[in-house]
Amino acid sequence: MIMKKYFNIIILFVIFFLLSAISISAKIDIGGELTASLINIIDNEGNISAYPQVSLDLELYIPPFDNNQIKSAVYLYTNPTTAQLDFMFKKLYLKHKFEKLHLTLGRQPISWSFGSMLNPVDFTLGAMVMDEETGAKYQNAIEAYIPLNWNTSISAIAAFPEASQDIKWGLRGRTMIEGYDLTLNYVREPEIYFMGTIIPASQRIGFTVKGDLGPIGVYGALGYYFKENDDSDLAYLIGGDYSYFFEAGNKIYFQLEYLSMKKENLSSILGPFFAGNIPNNLNENIGLILGMANYEIDEFSQVNLMTISSVNDGSIIIIPGYRNQLSNNLSLDLSAAIYFGKEDSLFGPTVSEGAQPKPKGMISVGLTYSF
Amino acid sequence: MKKIKGFLLIGIIISILITSLIITTAVEMTAEEIINKRDNNEYFDTAQMEAEMIIVSGNRKIIKTMVALTDKKNSFVEFTNPQDRGTKFLKREDDLWMFFPDAEEIIKISGHMLNQGMMGSDFSYQDVMEADKLTDLYDFKIIGEEEFEGRPCYILEGIAREGVKVSYYRRVSWIDKERFIGLKEELYAESGRVLKETRVNEVQEIEGRWVPINSVMENKLRKDTYTEFIITLIKFNLEIPEETFSLQNLR
Repeated sequence: MIMKKYFNIIILFVIFFLLSAISISAKIDIGGELTASLINIIDNEGNISAYPQVSLDLELYIPPFDNNQIKSAVYLYTNPTTAQLDFMFKKLYLKHKFEKLHLTLGRQPISWSFGSMLNPVDFTLGAMVMDEETGAKYQNAIEAYIPLNWNTSISAIAAFPEASQDIKWGLRGRTMIEGYDLTLNYVREPEIYFMGTIIPASQRIGFTVKGDLGPIGVYGALGYYFKENDDSDLAYLIGGDYSYFFEAGNKIYFQLEYLSMKKENLSSILGPFFAGNIPNNLNENIGLILGMANYEIDEFSQVNLMTISSVNDGSIIIIPGYRNQLSNNLSLDLSAAIYFGKEDSLFGPTVSEGAQPKPKGMISVGLTYSF
Repeated sequence: MKKIKGFLLIGIIISILITSLIITTAVEMTAEEIINKRDNNEYFDTAQMEAEMIIVSGNRKIIKTMVALTDKKNSFVEFTNPQDRGTKFLKREDDLWMFFPDAEEIIKISGHMLNQGMMGSDFSYQDVMEADKLTDLYDFKIIGEEEFEGRPCYILEGIAREGVKVSYYRRVSWIDKERFIGLKEELYAESGRVLKETRVNEVQEIEGRWVPINSVMENKLRKDTYTEFIITLIKFNLEIPEETFSLQNLR
């Protein structure tokens, strides 16, 4: 536990020591993204509350030296609940590439994405949701990565979650057979204290596959969740993607997937796209259909439409978006999320007493400057 | 005097014969020989390159910069412009892998994406990262000769070989007769529709071979758009470590 407490301090000390050892001629650079957005939340009475949000992704680019790599990235943002400036270290790690082992020590992104919109077998559930990363991805951890050949590897991770006294750990193997990318992983989640409640320790085994069936990209995942003295859950996901070219040369990209799992694991997988509680009247097993269509208007702009719908109660979230690359460094993003469904359905309005109310919709407009 | 005239006549005849023989040899180069010469000039064992892509649509343009390493079968590309900095691609045969720098994850890209514009450009991933020799992919024949931008050229037509996966069913190439470099190329779908046209604006002799250092790819299906590809630095036949073209090197 002492190691967990002083984890960041140790990492900072090691990094500063190594930085002082680098020749001053090494080319250190700073880059990142500045985003200014206006987010409008529409509640069930039709009232709109708007708040501006400014965020800055700042990364220090330090050239690799002597098989060492240092990465440092900080995310500064206006906290929507306190309206104060807040920050989060996304990366603060040191990686050393030994001959047969890559060791990464420090704050680092850990994601086992394989191209799906939701991932039921990620190292941290909800780390990537609908192609968007979440804060859950960034962990204080030690990762050992062992490459066996150009496409085969084994990695072992020990992470130190802030909400737990214990270590979370995972193993992942990756290989390719007949053009299919295959992974097998295991995660042991420790007991977590969250908002006054204790979430018991759990384990899961996951398997993913991704490849091509003719002109269609296909993928799937199988996850087995289990706890001590508790029911287990077998979750699965299947999906595919396809591109269609119009006569005029424009392209539309489709992605469709189906996820089946127990409702108790669903909220962590949906992450910020799911603001409410899981209604009690739903079946134990929930089926979700996810769809995405992305149409390129020209080289610089595109529109997309994503949907998440519940097979059990017909409720749905529709997420349209528009992106325009205004110049080399400046882009405009418009997006919305509209929730449809009966009362107490998965994505519909909440009526249960004490349950967190869900918004009716959200509209966001933002400008991003890259440097 | 008669003897001198006789020798002169024989000399003229021999000269004509030799000249004709040289001309005939030049004219009678087969399509395979021409394309082999082009392949030998434009393809290499290994290369390291720094380049920029200027994507133009109407009055708007964006610039992307990259470094690339390639050998006979594999390619590795890393983008260096601010917006895409750290985005990496690895292509091994028909498999394409992408590294997302923020999330630090490696995802296998579906096969249908290979024919799509690389990072929004008119060059597809296949166009930029293709490492195969043209003679392995197409059957060529000479269909004419023509001057292009003041340079005498052979015009060759290539039809995709049966069972070989290619992005373009047919390609018509204008190949410089002296430097054996493709100066212009039209790329067609199997339906006969022209999909893209590429033109070389500038060539340079680097390490004994002619290299198209500035070329333009125009998507013929779209109006007012093209992508300029400029090689700012290129080195040939370097020793590239085997692990360069591996998933571990993407991380």
